[in-house]
Formats: sequence, structure tokens, C-alpha cells
Amino acid sequence: MPRRYVQLDVFASRPGAGNPLAVVLDAEGLDDAAMQAIAKWTRLPETTFVFPAVSDDATHRIRIFSPRREVPFAGHPSVGTAHALLDAGLIAPREGFVVQDGIAGKLPLKVNGEGAERTIAVRTPRARVQEIATPDDPRLRAALAGLDLGALPPVLMDGGRRWWLAELASETALRSATPNWDAIIALANATESMGLFVYARSDDPVYHFAVRAFVGAPAQFEDAASGAANATLAAWLAERDALPDQPGGFYRVSQGREVGHDAIIELSIDAEGDVWSGGRAVAVVTGMLDWPE
Amino acid sequence: MPHRYLQLDVFAARPGTGNPLGVVFDAGPMDTATMQALAAWLNLSETIFFLPPDPGADYRIRIFTPGSELPFAGHPSVGAAWTAVVHGLAIPRDGQLIQQCEAGLLPVEISGDHANPRVAVRSPRAKHLQDHAPLAGLDAIAVPGQAAALWNNGPSWWMVEAASAKALRGLKPDFSAIAAWTNATATTGVAMFALEPEADHDVVVRAFCPGDAVNVPEDPVTGSANALVGALLHAQGWLPGVDGRYIASQGRELGRDGRVHVRVDDDGQVWIGGQVQQVIAGTLDW
Repeated sequence: MPRRYVQLDVFASRPGAGNPLAVVLDAEGLDDAAMQAIAKWTRLPETTFVFPAVSDDATHRIRIFSPRREVPFAGHPSVGTAHALLDAGLIAPREGFVVQDGIAGKLPLKVNGEGAERTIAVRTPRARVQEIATPDDPRLRAALAGLDLGALPPVLMDGGRRWWLAELASETALRSATPNWDAIIALANATESMGLFVYARSDDPVYHFAVRAFVGAPAQFEDAASGAANATLAAWLAERDALPDQPGGFYRVSQGREVGHDAIIELSIDAEGDVWSGGRAVAVVTGMLDWPE
Repeated sequence: MPHRYLQLDVFAARPGTGNPLGVVFDAGPMDTATMQALAAWLNLSETIFFLPPDPGADYRIRIFTPGSELPFAGHPSVGAAWTAVVHGLAIPRDGQLIQQCEAGLLPVEISGDHANPRVAVRSPRAKHLQDHAPLAGLDAIAVPGQAAALWNNGPSWWMVEAASAKALRGLKPDFSAIAAWTNATATTGVAMFALEPEADHDVVVRAFCPGDAVNVPEDPVTGSANALVGALLHAQGWLPGVDGRYIASQGRELGRDGRVHVRVDDDGQVWIGGQVQQVIAGTLDW
């Protein structure tokens, strides 16, 4: 039986800029093995499978698979799946929210705007400051060497995963930075963290910060769009009263240009101090998937 | 403007067992940079783009991996010919079509039902370049005393025959040693094979390409390597099957189960083909 299928680019307003995601919009009848096989076959970072909600307080139920395993929760697949369902008219927001049900429980997603302008954000796990350091800390010195550092001190944030955050003095310094991979890998391993996340304020009319995420462990790569790491930055900026002067603690981040992408991630902080992370999505492939049950 | 788009599984008896391929229709207006960006985003081993053919060809494709353009490749050509027939882009004459790709004009054979035809493409002529003692670690399961043979049909593969299919299927290769060796010899990878007479195939193949040329530890289903196995077995006079035709099994060790149909014709040319499954059909907006 053919099923509705969408492949979209998340945190992007044009194709190719963001983080790809595959969505099977009517997954009923597929068992775990079939879902895992499809997620392996699409070769995308994540593939989601949508089922009807089983309770009135959710709009839809999803399961998320990487090519290797099922993932209980991840930000960009949740945001992208909600976009795909709204595009297809399969769900509608209730008072500005849709509610996703899944292995990690029910999760509200905030919907703003419509059509190509629509943005969707997820509430991220509370992040806290683990440790504030200095640039000459022996664990950090090599990873930060050669970087034009900004005013805020380096900090280890914990938002489920741990990241070292370091401010750079300018967007130019950030975009031209060359990561010292050996030092970043050593830092990640020594501190049980993902690696080094650098950020700089920007004068761009669209975004307020530019960021780069250097993952040192378990693999070595520069991430194109990091929803969770950006959420820890928002918590850190709030803690230091360093958020851009914007209503609702809202700001935008540019990420991924240095690795051939051009993602825009939107962050906001609500009255309870929770960080919401999200953005737009653009459908690239729309069609039917035919996979034996 | 939206393009028609398909995602196929090539060399597959059922979806998920073969080699995926992206197929973009009516790509005439797309520039090279757009095709490359799209192939990178789709992240399939290859994506093909249909263009208006020049006189003398029935259809034209360009072939992109996520990193670069290829002049020719087997599994994209098999998928292209299948698409051309099933979606009415070209009508075979006497069971033949002429494919145009960056490597030139290439004959394609079509047989069976037009709704689900069997297609075979002629692989570029195979050349035996040189011999070398098998790489340490692989010689444990190689046929004793037999050298690794370097063959080329576009890509260059070190060909190593295993003493038994069981040993080959159980092999856990030393990928860093293979990467070092293939980098040092500027080759695509190491292809290992063994005869395995079973009901639905005759040969088992595994293709390792962890070096800089491909940077994939093991490829699930490999047209070029299978064509070279056919050429090598033909040259040695050990071709299995009937009338120069046999079926190879590849990819089980990676959770796939590809089948490559190989034929060596009277001129010693190798044809490769197989079944195609259409998994995704829709439109693409870029």
C-alpha cells in the first residue's frame, strides 16, 4: 500500500540550507523492523513515522528512527514532522500549539505564522551551568588557542548532552576560525562533553548570533544545525543577562555556512524560563512511498 | 518549478535489499552546481538527472554522487534504463536503447514486460593491469598461492578470490589496512569473490572501498566490481551459470541482499543488470 511521504529540509527557508528529514505520514501497519529498514534505506539523519493520536490531548503520535536505531526524542525531527503534517492539512494547531505523542511522552510544539513563514518550536530540556572556566584552563587552552575570544568566559553547559560554549569577539572571527580537531577531541573525551560550541554576536538584519558546533566525540564533525546545543546557549545568555534586546527573549541564530549549509534556528525563552528551539522547514520531495508491510 | 522524482532500489528483488538511486526528470534547466547540491542533500550513493538526448541517443543522464559527478556507473545506468522504459521516456527497438552519459553512448538491453522490464547495461571493457601478493589479512581466506589482480573498467579494483564462500561471508576485514593499500596504489578498492552455487545465485561478492577514492568501508551492491568479477572468471575459463549468464549475491553482510545479473557475451564484453523496485514516486521542489 503506498503511503504519503515527504522529505524536507528543517531549519531552512530554502532547500539545501538546513537539516534533512524524511516523514512517512501514514505509518499504520509498519512494524518496527520495517520502520528501521526504511530509515536505513532513506540514508537521512532521521526518518519519522506518523500514527494517529491515541488520546484527545495529542494531535499526532510519532516514532523517530536514525539509520541505526530508534531515537526517543530529537528536536529537528519533531519540528519537521509537525511542519509536514500542517502542510498536508492532517492536523491543525489548537491555541497555537500542536501536541506530539511519542516514546518520550507528550510534547507541545509552538506554531507561529502560516505557509512559508510558519515557524515551529519545541521546548527543550532545562539546561544548567555545569562549570565556568577561564581560557587558560589546561583542559581548554589548546582548543581555544588561536581563537579571538569575546567577553563572556568559557562555560560547560548541561542540557542532556554537555557542550563547552565559548564566545568569539566577532562574526568575522567566528566564520574564519579553524578548529583544532585534536584538541577538541581531547577536550570532549576529558570532560565527557560533545565538544566545543563557539558563538558571536552579529549585526546581520536576519540573525542575532552566528554559531559553529565542533563535535569531538563520539565522531569528529562540524554540525550544520544544532537545536539542543543552541538551547544551552540561550540558557547561558539568559543566565548572564546577555540575551539580545528583543521581546519574549526571541532571537535567531545562523549556523552551518562553513559546512555548505545555511540554517536559521529560532530561540525564545518563556515566562517560566524554558527555552524553545525551532524554525522553518521547506518540503523538497512530496510523494508516495511503497514498502511491503 | 517542481520536477517528477523517483527513488528506486536497484539490483533488488524487494525494496530495501539493493542500492538506492535518486531519479530527477526534466533536468534540462538545472545547472551543474544545482545537480551537485541536490545529490549531496539527497545523500544517496548516486542521483541521476534526465536531460534531452543528442541525436543518436534515446535518453541522456548525468550521474552525481554526494561529492562529485561520475562519467559512468552501473547501478545508475540500470535504474535509468528501467525508468526510461517504464515511464515512457524512450521506446526500445529490438530490445535495445542507447543511453547517453558523460562517458559517451552506451548500449542497453531490455527484456521482459514493459511494466517491469529486466535491463542490462554494457560495462566499459575490462583490463587486467597487474598482479600483487594478496594483502596481509586477506591472504588468510584467499585461494592459496593466487595473486591479487588489479583490474580496471573505469574504477580500478584489486580482485581477490576467496577459497570459500563461507569464509568470505564471515570475513571481518581490516579496513585501515585496506584503506592504506588502496591509497598507496591509487585504486578504488578491494573486491573479493567466491563461487557459491545456490538456487538463486552462483557467486558471492564483497567490495571494500574505505580509501580516499570512495571512503565507504563496504559497498552494498557494486556494478563495476561485479563486471570485473565476470571478466576475470571469463578470462580464467571458470565462468559459472549457463550461456555466459550467472547471478551474483552481494550485500547480505550489510543487511542488504542484492542480486546482480551478469552476462559475458561472445566478444567478451560484460553486461550487468538486475531487478528494480520503485519505492518513492512524487515531485521534487528545489
